[in-house]
Amino acid sequence: MYLDLDEGERAVSEGVAAFLAGEFPLQRLLHSSDSEALEAFAAQGWLGLAVPEELGGAGLSCVEEALFFMAHGREAGPFDLFPQMLALEVARHSPTLVAELLSAVHRVALWVATEGETARLVASAPPTVALRIEVQRVALWELKGKELSERTCLDRSVSFYLVPRAELRLLAEERCDLYLRAELALASMEVGIAQRALEMIVAYARQRHTFGRPIGAYQAVRHPCADMAVRVEAARCQLYYAACALREGHRDAATQVSAARVLARRAARDNTDLNIQLHGGLGVTEEYPAHLLLKRANLLARLPGGRSWEREALLQESA
Amino acid sequence: MDLKLSDEDLEFRARARAWLTRHVPKEPRPPYGEAAARFDREWQRKLYEHGFAGINWPREYGGLGLSAIQQVIWYEECARAGAPHYINTTYVGLMHAGPTLMACGTEAQKRYYLPRILSGEHLWCQGFSEPDAGSDLAALKTAGRIEGDELVVNGCKTWTTDARFADYQELLVRTTPGSQRHHGLTWVICDMKSPGISIHPIRTMLGDEHVNTVFYDEVRIPLANVVGEVGQGWKTALSTLAFERGTGFIGDQLALAERVRQAISLARRVRLESGELAIENADIAGRLALIKADTLAIRAMTLHQISEVASSGAPGPKGSIMKLMVTSTAKTLSHLVAELLGWEFLEYDYEGGRENQPWTYDYLWSWVYTIAGGTSEIQREIIADRLLELPRAR
Ligand SMILES: Cc1cc2nc3c(=O)[nH]c(=O)nc-3n(C[C@H](O)[C@H](O)[C@H](O)COP(=O)(O)OP(=O)(O)OC[C@H]3O[C@@H](n4cnc5c(N)ncnc54)[C@H](O)[C@@H]3O)c2cc1C
Repeated sequence: MYLDLDEGERAVSEGVAAFLAGEFPLQRLLHSSDSEALEAFAAQGWLGLAVPEELGGAGLSCVEEALFFMAHGREAGPFDLFPQMLALEVARHSPTLVAELLSAVHRVALWVATEGETARLVASAPPTVALRIEVQRVALWELKGKELSERTCLDRSVSFYLVPRAELRLLAEERCDLYLRAELALASMEVGIAQRALEMIVAYARQRHTFGRPIGAYQAVRHPCADMAVRVEAARCQLYYAACALREGHRDAATQVSAARVLARRAARDNTDLNIQLHGGLGVTEEYPAHLLLKRANLLARLPGGRSWEREALLQESA
Repeated sequence: MDLKLSDEDLEFRARARAWLTRHVPKEPRPPYGEAAARFDREWQRKLYEHGFAGINWPREYGGLGLSAIQQVIWYEECARAGAPHYINTTYVGLMHAGPTLMACGTEAQKRYYLPRILSGEHLWCQGFSEPDAGSDLAALKTAGRIEGDELVVNGCKTWTTDARFADYQELLVRTTPGSQRHHGLTWVICDMKSPGISIHPIRTMLGDEHVNTVFYDEVRIPLANVVGEVGQGWKTALSTLAFERGTGFIGDQLALAERVRQAISLARRVRLESGELAIENADIAGRLALIKADTLAIRAMTLHQISEVASSGAPGPKGSIMKLMVTSTAKTLSHLVAELLGWEFLEYDYEGGRENQPWTYDYLWSWVYTIAGGTSEIQREIIADRLLELPRAR
């Protein structure tokens, strides 16, 4: 029993954090798009983090994947990595498909809703494949036609792509607990976002002065910051626990993952809100990155889309 | 990271579970007074005699020398078995006086006091707070004058929990005349039977008298009872507070999970005034789910903290995060259950206390939780100062 990062885990976590900070820092979203990010991650081998070695991956587990997405969340990293890496799990039975996903020949969007005859997808560039995450199954669908209608999103790093439902063809599906992997990855990104929001306001609160004192000396600023730290710590520890429970196949894995997700979502929502508020006017400007975290958190909170199951998992008799 | 328990851990869990099934007292703990203290001593003696006291205390001082994980397992099994609540008159000795002696005491102090704490022979209380020194503990005024090999104490402490039943006290006094704040203080072991001590109970909103004001009139304490150095009491006191906030809550952290389980099954049984089952009400189910998530996180935080201490050696300011989480979750739970129980919650028999109406009792207790041991506001100050390193407010 050891619920903290060991050396190997630390190396993964720091490695991806350094790569993101160098190539895809949060500030990039102020002026550039993520449409070529997948290729950059593919070139570094990050996409295959949890893909078995015999299929060309690094053979790591959902624990390292959680650490990867936590670091990703801190920079509101390229959104497409999430559906792309999960798609690799669905594609396990087809080495060709795995290869095409690993090299980003196939680009995966997340299919978040179906409205009448139209499927709503999210991605940063036109996709070739859509990933649908449901409790019963997680499936990959190929886009047959080229008929994509693009809409802008509150989180400007991605777009919505509206596709006729009939133009999606089932490519592969997985019925085991893959949706828990999706929830875990989402929770990880949310913890990262919540953590970054805390770091941003703490740095500012040390330096911004009003009435002759740093704002960080006012309790109306300090105490919400302390609460932000509590939310991050709770969500992060629960995330670690849930990741281990999932990897080790614990009976209560679904409950643990649900708890991680509920707490991470709350932390991301509340911390990104407070981060803007406690910055004052600067917080609502476009050039300051606080709003980027808020907008990403708002997008993630709704994912993977479809019926929410966390409450049931938390309240079931045996939990 | 991993959650794998070793064979020894699993064996310990099985042994603890089997023993608790057979030995948890059938009769309820008397709610208050001398009878409660006697009950606590007896339960503690039983634990000691059967080899379940001081799970992770060193063997040389009467403990079992087991791991912190096994300590966690023990509390989980106690909660599961409905064993006597561990916040009782043995609490101060077991959770912070003992650990303080281990960290700062002399060999003679450790050898004498530690086994007696474990066996239930000695109960302890904490004499830190004063009428004008609560959150601002360093403002304390109770004075200790050195005369030969004795310390002569005059002054007053307040909020001293269970002072009437305690044999010894963690007493923090000002020994350097005219010293300011945290300078010139001394942490000393005070025998509560010493001449010159008078104890006056304070009635609380729970209807009990477990806290007291203690007056000291020329109370003579041997200098050999000083823990740490004369004039360096603040250092020893910080160690006490680190244990109180850091690991002192561990039993409650884990017991909370059991209470949440009970609240969820309550929500499955009771109907709201509208006639619907509480669990089917979206608002209540949502709030319960969040509380459940918080208690799972509290357990994960406990395990994380143990892992961190195992690699770094000391409980840091994260204890304040833990205290805030545990006490705020307990309060949220209490408010929710108060809604679920309706009139049954209000029809309260003050004599029965926790044993008879645990939900109402715990509801009242939840303010003790957020005030005693450093208020929630002070915990936020500590997090802001020491964890976030924000500019000081004070
Ligand atoms: C049931 C009970 C049992 C206790 N048992 C013991 C015991 O056994 N031994 C012992 O030594 N003590 C004990 N205490 C004392 C406890 O530690 C103090 O009550 C606590 O530290 C608060 O001090 P105070 O009551 O003087 O409140 P104050 O310090 O007067 O605080 C009043 C209010 O102001 C807030 N406040 C104070 N300073 C600040 C600040 N800098 N920033 C923001 N807010 C601030 C507080 O949070 C609080 O809400 C017990 C208390 C209770 C209620």
